Amino acid sequence: MSAALDRRALELLPSGERLAAHDAAVWALRAKRDAAGRAEPDFERLREQARRIKAHSLDHLDVLLERFESRAQAAGARVHFAEDAADLQRIVLELLRAKGARRVVKSKSMLTEECGLNPHLERHGLEVVDTDLGERIVQLGDEPPSHIIMPAIHRTRGDIGALFERELGSAPGDTDPGRLTAAARRDLRARFLAADAAITGANFAVADTGTLVVVTNEGNADLGMSLAKLHIACLGIEKVIPGLGDLAVFLRLLARSATGQAISAYTSLVTGPRPGGELHVVLVDNGRTKLLADPRHRSALSCIRCGACLNTCPVFRRAGGHAYGWAVPGPIGAVLAPALTESDELRALPFASTLCGSCTAVCPVKIDLHDQLVAWRASDSPRSAGSRSLGRLASLVFASPLAYRLAGRAVRALWPLLRGAPPARAWLAARELPEHPGASFRARFRARGSQQ
Amino acid sequence: MSARDSILARARGAVTRSVTPPESFEPAHRRADFASFAIQLAAAGGEGVGPIGAAELNTRVTELCRGLAPSPRVLASDAALLRLGTGPWSPIPSGADPHSLADVAVAILCGSLAVAENGAIGLDGREARPRALPVLCERLVLLVDVSALVPDMHAALARLPDGALAHHHFTFVAGPSKTADIEGELVLGAHGPRGLTVIGIEG
Repeated sequence: MSAALDRRALELLPSGERLAAHDAAVWALRAKRDAAGRAEPDFERLREQARRIKAHSLDHLDVLLERFESRAQAAGARVHFAEDAADLQRIVLELLRAKGARRVVKSKSMLTEECGLNPHLERHGLEVVDTDLGERIVQLGDEPPSHIIMPAIHRTRGDIGALFERELGSAPGDTDPGRLTAAARRDLRARFLAADAAITGANFAVADTGTLVVVTNEGNADLGMSLAKLHIACLGIEKVIPGLGDLAVFLRLLARSATGQAISAYTSLVTGPRPGGELHVVLVDNGRTKLLADPRHRSALSCIRCGACLNTCPVFRRAGGHAYGWAVPGPIGAVLAPALTESDELRALPFASTLCGSCTAVCPVKIDLHDQLVAWRASDSPRSAGSRSLGRLASLVFASPLAYRLAGRAVRALWPLLRGAPPARAWLAARELPEHPGASFRARFRARGSQQ
Repeated sequence: MSARDSILARARGAVTRSVTPPESFEPAHRRADFASFAIQLAAAGGEGVGPIGAAELNTRVTELCRGLAPSPRVLASDAALLRLGTGPWSPIPSGADPHSLADVAVAILCGSLAVAENGAIGLDGREARPRALPVLCERLVLLVDVSALVPDMHAALARLPDGALAHHHFTFVAGPSKTADIEGELVLGAHGPRGLTVIGIEG
C-alpha cells in the first residue's frame, strides 16, 4: 500500500466508540442481507442468472446502448453521451443554463460523485441540494459520502444532531433520529417545491423499452422528477440491460442484497418525459470502455451498487469509506478505481485487502472480487526498484533450504535493528507483531522432539 | 467523431459477442393471495386491509379518514371515486399544479398490480392525477382488486398493463417513504407518505 494511502487511512480511521458503531451498523446490513437471502428460495439461482445477464449485456453493450438510445428518444427523451467527467459536467451545466435553472435538487448517484458534478455546478453559481437524507448530512457537513447506500454511516446521531442544530435550527441537544429526519424533511420539502430542475442517477436502463429505472427508499427521486419540469438522469454506460424480464431479476436481488428488504419503497420506471416536462439522459463512459476491453476485469462493470461487499469487508468495516479516497469504497471500489482513474495512489487500493473472499461470497452478480484484487496486484502493482530487488532476493532465498536457514538466522540476529528501519517501521505503524520466541521453528521443533 | 460515435466504436471494438444470454428465469412457485401480500407489506412498514367486498369499501375508507387529523385534505383520483362513491374526500382539482398539493393529508388512488413476494403496488402513471401526488401526501391509501395480485416481480413486469410504459412513469410502491440514514435506525416518512394502507377488494 502506498505511503500516502497508509497515512490517510490512519488519519481517517474511526476509533473507539465510533469504530464500534460503524462496524455494528455496517454488519447489521450484512446480517439483514443474509436473512433476506435465506428467506428467498430463488436467491442463489437469481445471483447466477444476474451474473449471466450482465455478462451477456456487457458483451453486447454497443447494441444495447443504441437500442436504448433509439427507444428512449422515440419516447421523447433526449440522449447525450459523455466521454468523461469534464464532458458530463459541461453537458449538465449547458442543459441547466439553457432552461435558466438556478435551483437543482439531486437524488443519489454514485456516478455524479465519481465525476465531481456537484462542485462543478456550484462553482458556476447553481444551488445544488442533495435530497437523500444521508447525502444531505454529508453535504451539510462538507464531506464526501462514506458508503454507497448509507452515505453518512460514519456519523453518530450526536454528530448529526449538532450539525442540524447549526445548519437547520433543530432543537439543541436533540439526537432523536425521528425528529432529526423531520427537521431535514421540512427543509427539503421547501427546496423540492422551489426547484427548477432535478438530477437523478438510474439503477438500470432497459434497452427494449427505453426505460430508466430509479430506485429509492425515501421517494426523493420521485419528488424531484415529478415536481421540476426539467429532469436530467446521469448514468454509466454499463447500466443498460436488455429487457423487462431481466429487470425483474435485478429488482429481486438489489434491495435484498443492500438492506435485506424484499424491494425498496419506490421503484420508478421512467420512459420519456412527463407531459409538459423535459427528460435528458446522459450516458457516461469515464473509463468504462477501457475496462470493457479488459477481459480479466470486465465483470467489475456488472456491479449494481448494492453495497453488500462493503458491509461484509473486514477492512471496510474497520477503516470506513473515507480511507479509500474515492467515490466508491470497499472491495468494488478497489477493483474499479485502478481501472477508472489515472491515480497512482488509487492503484494501491487492491493491496488494502485481506483477500478473505467474503466480498465474492455476497456479491449479487457474482463478481470474482477477491480474485480481481489479486489480479490487480499482480498486473499493476506500483513497485519501486527497491521492492523489486527485494522480491528477487526473496525468491532466491525461498528456493534453497540452506539460503532460507541462513537468512532466518541473519534476520533473528539483526531483528532489533531491522524493526527500527524505515520500511519495517512504516509497516508496523498500524500492526503488532507477537514477541519473538528467540529460536527458529525448526530448532524449537527439534527441542520438543527430544523432550518426548 | 462525436462522443457518442467514439464511445460506441470503442464498445464495439471491445466486445466479442461470444457470450450467450441465459434461459429465462423460472421462479419457485409462490402463492399470490392477499394474506401473503399483506405480510410483506407489513414488513415494509405498510398495512394491508382485506380483502373486503366492494359494498364495504365506502364504510372502511370513511372510517380510515375519520381516524386521522380533524378535517384533513383528502383527495381521491377519478378511478378511486368511481369505486368509493361520496364521502369525506374530494376529487383532485383538474389541471392542479402539483405544487398546490403539498398540504394533502390523504391521497386515495387505485393500484394496477399487487406483488405478493414484496408487498409492492404498481401505480400506473396514466391515472388522472399529478405525478407527484403519491409522494407529496402525508398518507397514501391504495385500492387494488385482488385479481391484480401476482406472485413475484417476474409476473409483475411481464403483466404491465398495455401502454403503461409509453410516455409515462410506472412506479412500484412498497410501504411508506423511509430512511435509515441516521445510525441505521428506521424512520418512516423521510420525504413522502408517513403511512401506507392498501385495501384489497374482492368481487
